[in-house]
Amino acid sequence: MESFEVFRHVTIGQYLPGESLVHRLDPRAKITVVLLLIAAVTFSTSYTAHLALLALTLGLIALANLPVRYIVSGVRPAVPFILLLALMQLFVYGEAAASAVRGSAVLWQWGVLRVTAGSLRLTLVSLARLLELLLLVSLLTNATPTTSLTYGIESMLRPFARLGLPAHELSLIGTIALRFVPVLGEQFETILKAQASRGANLRLGGRLHFIRSAQQMVVLLVPLFLNALLRAEDLILAMEARCYGGGRGRSHYVRLRLRGPDYAAMALALVFTAAVLAARNALP
Amino acid sequence: MNSLLTIRRIVVAGLLGAITILLGATRAGFIPVPTPLGDATIMHIPVIIGGILDGWLVGAILGLFFGIFSFIHATIPMFKDPLVVFLPRILIGITTALVYRGLRRSNEVVAVIVATVVGTLTNTVGVLGIGVLRGYLPLPAAVGFGVAAAIPETILAAIIVVAVVLAWRGVTARRRTADL
Repeated sequence: MESFEVFRHVTIGQYLPGESLVHRLDPRAKITVVLLLIAAVTFSTSYTAHLALLALTLGLIALANLPVRYIVSGVRPAVPFILLLALMQLFVYGEAAASAVRGSAVLWQWGVLRVTAGSLRLTLVSLARLLELLLLVSLLTNATPTTSLTYGIESMLRPFARLGLPAHELSLIGTIALRFVPVLGEQFETILKAQASRGANLRLGGRLHFIRSAQQMVVLLVPLFLNALLRAEDLILAMEARCYGGGRGRSHYVRLRLRGPDYAAMALALVFTAAVLAARNALP
Repeated sequence: MNSLLTIRRIVVAGLLGAITILLGATRAGFIPVPTPLGDATIMHIPVIIGGILDGWLVGAILGLFFGIFSFIHATIPMFKDPLVVFLPRILIGITTALVYRGLRRSNEVVAVIVATVVGTLTNTVGVLGIGVLRGYLPLPAAVGFGVAAAIPETILAAIIVVAVVLAWRGVTARRRTADL
C-alpha cells in the first residue's frame, strides 16, 4: 500500500498547534521574515550562504518545536524525481552551468558526461535550496493557523487596496488554496486506490513515455479536478447562503498588533538577508 | 463585494490553486526531460481549466500561482527572472479565456481544444521568447527546446483539459435537474 501514499505526506498547509515563540509571533512579522529569507535562498549561489541559511532555518524549526522528520516526509514521494533532476544537472548541465554560475573547471569527464565545478555547485545549491524552501514554507504554514495567515496577508496588502487591488479577495483565494491542499491530497490518494482496484495500471514512474503517462494521468487528474470543482460548488453555496460580503467594512474579532519580538524578528531577518545578498559574490 | 471577483471566482480560483500547489509541492507537476531547460510541465493545466470555466481573471490568478511555484523551484538563472517566470504564466489564463470565449458559440469541443493549445503555446513561446529577448538563450536553442517541450505538453494538456471540461459540463447539467 506504500505506493499509494503519494500525497498523504503533503505537510504544507497543515497547522500544528503549539506555544513556541514562533507560534506567538504576529503573522505579518512571520510572513515578512519568511519572504526575506526566501529572497536570500533564491538569490544566493555560494556554499557559505547556503550553509548559514540551512543552519538558520533548522534553528528556526527547532525554535518552533516543529518535527523536522514530519516536514521532510512531505518530499519523500518526490525523492526519485529530485535525484533524477540532480543527476541530470550534475552531468549534463556542465557547460550551461559553467557560464551561469562561477566555475568552469572540469572536474570529471566521461564521454559526453561532464562534471564541472559549476554544475557541482548548481546541483548542491539546488538541493540545499529545495530543503531550505521546504523548511521555510513549513515554518510559516505549520506554525500559523490559516485564519491568522489570511488576516496577515490581507492587512499587508491593504495599502495596495487604494490602488484598486482587491486585497481581501486575493488573500481569501490564497487561504482557500492552502486550506484545501491536504484535503485534495487525501482525495488524490483515494482516487489512486480506486483506480488501482479497478485494475488500472498506474505506474507513477515512467513519465518519460508521455503518451502513456497522459492516459494514466487522465484517470487520475479528471476525478481530482471534478472533485475540486464539486467542492467549490458546495463552498460557493455555503458562502452565498451566509450572505458572504467580502472585505469592505468588515471588522475582525482578533486585531493584529506588532510587538517587540515581532520587530526584532523582522530586523534580524532583514540584516541577515542583506548581509547574505551583499556578500553573495564574495563568499566561496 | 468586488464586482469582478465574485464569490464563484474566488472559490474556483482557490480550489484550482490548491491543485496547483499539490502538483507543485510534490513535484508531480514537473516531468523531468533531458534538455537543459529542465522540466516539461502539466502545471499549466489548472490555469487553462480555470480560464475556460471561469474567465480570464481566474486564469490570470492561477497563472500567478504557477509562476510563484516555478520561481521558487527554479534551478537555472533564466527562471529566476520574474519577467520570464510570471508574465507568460499570467498570460496563459488570459489568452485561453479569450480564445475560448471567442470560439464557444460555434463548437464547445473545438473551442476547448483550441484554447488549450493556445494556452500551452502561450506558456512555451512566452517563456522561451522572453528568455531569448533577455539574452538567456540563443534563438536556435530556444526553438529546439520549444518544439521538444511544446509537443508533449500540448498533447497532455489537450487530453486532460477536454476530459475535465466536458465531464464537468455533464456534471453541472445533471445536477441542475437531479438535486431535488
